[in-house]
Amino acid sequence: MGVQPFETIVGAHHAEIYRYIRRVTSRATEAEDLSQETFLRAYRAYRTLGPEANVRAWLFAIATNLTRNHFRSEKRRRTAHLAASVEGRETDPEGPEDEARFREAKALLESTVRGLPLKQRLAFILRKIHDLDYEAIGRSLDCSAESARAHVFQALRKVRLSLNGHALPPETSPTNMEQPR
Amino acid sequence: MSRKLRTCLEIEADLVAAATGDAEPGTVRRVEHHIDACAPCRGEFRRYREIDGVVGALRRAPAAAESVARAREGLESRLADLKSRLVSYRVFPSPLGHILIARSELGVSLVEYLGEHTDLGASRLSRVTGVDPQEDGAEIEALYRELLEYLRGDRTRLEWPLDLRLARSDFHRSVLQATAAIPYGAVTSYAGIATEIGKPAATRAVAQALRWNPLPIVVPCHRIIGTSGALTGYAGSQIGLKQRLLAVEGVRAVGTRNDSRVARNTLYHYDRNDQREYCLPTCGDIARRPIGPVTLLASRELAGALGLVPCTACRPDLHPLTV
Repeated sequence: MGVQPFETIVGAHHAEIYRYIRRVTSRATEAEDLSQETFLRAYRAYRTLGPEANVRAWLFAIATNLTRNHFRSEKRRRTAHLAASVEGRETDPEGPEDEARFREAKALLESTVRGLPLKQRLAFILRKIHDLDYEAIGRSLDCSAESARAHVFQALRKVRLSLNGHALPPETSPTNMEQPR
Repeated sequence: MSRKLRTCLEIEADLVAAATGDAEPGTVRRVEHHIDACAPCRGEFRRYREIDGVVGALRRAPAAAESVARAREGLESRLADLKSRLVSYRVFPSPLGHILIARSELGVSLVEYLGEHTDLGASRLSRVTGVDPQEDGAEIEALYRELLEYLRGDRTRLEWPLDLRLARSDFHRSVLQATAAIPYGAVTSYAGIATEIGKPAATRAVAQALRWNPLPIVVPCHRIIGTSGALTGYAGSQIGLKQRLLAVEGVRAVGTRNDSRVARNTLYHYDRNDQREYCLPTCGDIARRPIGPVTLLASRELAGALGLVPCTACRPDLHPLTV
């Protein structure tokens, strides 16, 4: 078998998978159900996983697949777009002005992401929120790593357009090209 | 944006990647070079850096701990339910026809002769309620290899964890447990098992219970025969299989297909006694006493392993049976 006990897998990844689906679906009940379904599917198949398998990427692929199936129903897609709950009200920047601007920008970003076509939305969240590499994102979305990259690019362009005219706190100096992670 | 130069359009994707920390060093250098000379793109780059900062905040935002905990709790309960139902199985060819082996989280739950059939539909697994069968590979493959070794006579024990949930009652389970304790190369009777579980009058019920043994070979019901030595039944009416399994262990049977019995004259006999002595079949009337109280043994090594000593009258140690 060569894989870790399934309980360890649940412990290590459940919260993140839940957050992922929660962000994609915007509904707690759907996120609850789909994240549970992800792990039930994983449980059925995890014995066949090789010891070298990337369990995290594999779980994201199952979750993505389930989520996409879930959204295949047009009705559900519409309600998901309408559901606009804004979560997370923690403060990031320092000053109160920055704080308010930031909160506003974040809410706008969230609603823009929710309005993205599904593949772009999934690719954006997988890459930008959960840091998956493009190979893994491609596998999750049944497309090449290059297409996955293109989806993220298109998503960022739309985000950029939606935030047009909104003052944002400067992140870092433009000459500092280091990765901001 | 609409009046962009061609070079700016070409570099746009790389610029976005570089600004959001998603580009290779070579790409970053190219973008850097471009924005040094192009003010609009420098502005775009800065803008994407700012956006990346907001995205970063989104990444750090924790989901409500309560809803994560609730989802986790629900998952634990659904997982427990699935684990209790999930049974993985595979069908393999064997010298005894196709055999299905199934196991749950707890252990091996079913070994079933399918004869010519190879599909789940032919198995009782497809008819049991509350079971979720799933065809699976690697783990069961290992069990199968051990089973083949056993059938070739290269292995005398199948030390598998067992899941007796397919047993039909507590009585059924106790019969299976008593049967599982009969060692390789030993033979007792249905009446012997009935006595063993403290229900000496339940011989027929024991036979019936073993007829529905969900784990033949592993729970060696082929080592249980009639008190007279007749093989009686096996897996329905497949006496031939019983005969073959006993032969692997060195227990010979003689007679016709419908009336085959173990050849007692080729086996050592142990009738419970204080000295824990085992005998030759020629020792007094021991070969005429009913099986059950008398246990038949294929070898002296087995007798030794059971802690028995040679009878001081017939001296099986000096006169081993030659078969």
